[in-house]
Amino acid sequence: MKRNKARPAGLFFSSSVYSEEAVRLAAFVFSSREEVRTSKEAGGVRAVLPAGSPELEGAFANEVLNQQCRLDLAKKNSKVANIIVTRALLSAMGERG
Amino acid sequence: MASRPARRKSKKSQAGAPYVAWERLAPDSLVVTNDPGNHAFVPARELPALLAGGKKTGSAELLAKGFVRDRLDFDGLCESWRTRNAYLAAGPGLHILVLTLRCNHGCSYCQSGAGGAGAKGTDMPASTARQCVDFAFQSPNPSITIEFQGGEPLLNWDALEEAVSYARRRAAASGRKLRLALVSNFALMTEKKAAFLLENEVSICTSLDGPAALHNANRAYSGGDSHGLTVKWLRYFQAKHDSQKGGVPVFKPGALLTVTKRSLSRHREIIDEYARLGLEEIFLRPLAPLGYARTKWDEIGYDAAQFTEFYRKSLDYILSLNRKGVPLREKMAVMLLEKIINARDPGFLDSRCPCGAAIGQLAYNFDGDIYTCDEGRMAAWAGDPIFRVGNVRTSKYRDIATSDAAKACAAASNLETQPYCHRCAYRPFCGVCPVYNYEVQGSLAGDMPSNDRCALFKGIFGTLFSYLKTPGKGKELAKWVENEKK
Repeated sequence: MKRNKARPAGLFFSSSVYSEEAVRLAAFVFSSREEVRTSKEAGGVRAVLPAGSPELEGAFANEVLNQQCRLDLAKKNSKVANIIVTRALLSAMGERG
Repeated sequence: MASRPARRKSKKSQAGAPYVAWERLAPDSLVVTNDPGNHAFVPARELPALLAGGKKTGSAELLAKGFVRDRLDFDGLCESWRTRNAYLAAGPGLHILVLTLRCNHGCSYCQSGAGGAGAKGTDMPASTARQCVDFAFQSPNPSITIEFQGGEPLLNWDALEEAVSYARRRAAASGRKLRLALVSNFALMTEKKAAFLLENEVSICTSLDGPAALHNANRAYSGGDSHGLTVKWLRYFQAKHDSQKGGVPVFKPGALLTVTKRSLSRHREIIDEYARLGLEEIFLRPLAPLGYARTKWDEIGYDAAQFTEFYRKSLDYILSLNRKGVPLREKMAVMLLEKIINARDPGFLDSRCPCGAAIGQLAYNFDGDIYTCDEGRMAAWAGDPIFRVGNVRTSKYRDIATSDAAKACAAASNLETQPYCHRCAYRPFCGVCPVYNYEVQGSLAGDMPSNDRCALFKGIFGTLFSYLKTPGKGKELAKWVENEKK
């Protein structure tokens, strides 16, 4: 993640670490606090918080990291997680999973 | 999708490398746990060798408990996991009927959305109560608990009486195992009402926040001395329990404490009050910033570190009383130790994965609306119906489990997908609350590193495991769940 002084204010999230999906999810989570505009660029995604303070930008960057962690974890664990949730919901309905 | 360079493990490190999560209890001491929920205590200096799967991996205890990958009793470990997570196959067992939102107390931390005793239009009609009972009996769980709450449920005696009688008839006709429970402040209890409740095998629970001054400061009752009435009826029901001679079983009355800021410096007085009254269990229930408590948090709330300190001191004091022959246990510890030591599901809906929202419990509001849990019902009373899953008059039972709220809560509370939880040593015994996460942090999944409920539970687990590691205290705590073993 880089703050590029030569370009309009914003945060750049490198695709070597962050997926576009993570940035967009974070923007959605942030939508009630601050409008976040995202755009694809070579090598990653730029996110601009028009009225963003450094603190708010830091919080947004943390949220992107949070979302990326969840996506990475889902890749590893989604199969077993889905089995557990499906079993619990089916049992609640009275059906055997 | 982003990718990271893969790290290839050497064959040497793969052989014997165990699945462990670990937590530091002290600078030189760790607790390690694994997916089936076994635990062991390891000196911190031995962790690198354990994780690397070197020659020192296989102490007898670690081998027996499934901490060495190439020496697993897979069938045994699976059976342990199944037993500990048996609730996944059961469906909703707890059905909370909120008979009224009227209440004759004004508790500073009320989380039920209660209004005054004269509030209109918030009593559950008897017909709706019957429909709630019918709905509860559609649950596939072989054992149903119907718990009557409020406000103050005795303010709607007609509906309570009807629901109790109807539920007993339904249970007799169907052969289902039914437990009835009443949560009441006792202010309106009479001998006639008590007799009815006892005849119908209703277990009784009340709130007792400590000695009179503390209890009454938390639980304002315009009709008089709340503490005095609580004690009077606790003694009444205890006497009935102690003098029973066969027939319909009479349960010991229970009491629980809501810990507020006022409680934090008075653990001895509170525990002494429970001991004085002959109560054998005390539930040190932490306060959550939900409901009325949220608006008064600065006045009555605290953080996880403060609660953990109170909890540790309370456990120490209870254990010291045990050594003097006073038979008192802390209820949250009992439930968590059931999981840790006995590998059994204690039915603690706050601490399971996925949480009990809609799949372990349901809350029925006075108007017949059904919610994932009582906290979800309260969120609706505060203006957000996101946790509503149906209505007893219009919903089919299947609609509940397939509702958006049920699915979202189950997914959000699955610890396998929580970044902070999936590698936590306490994961096999813990759970998150989507309602708390939503109300406090703005999302069902929450953010555990900054989640005070997570910090609080970590504090409790840290305390329990530290004590279990200590030979004397460990044995004393284990005794609390000795008789729970089958």
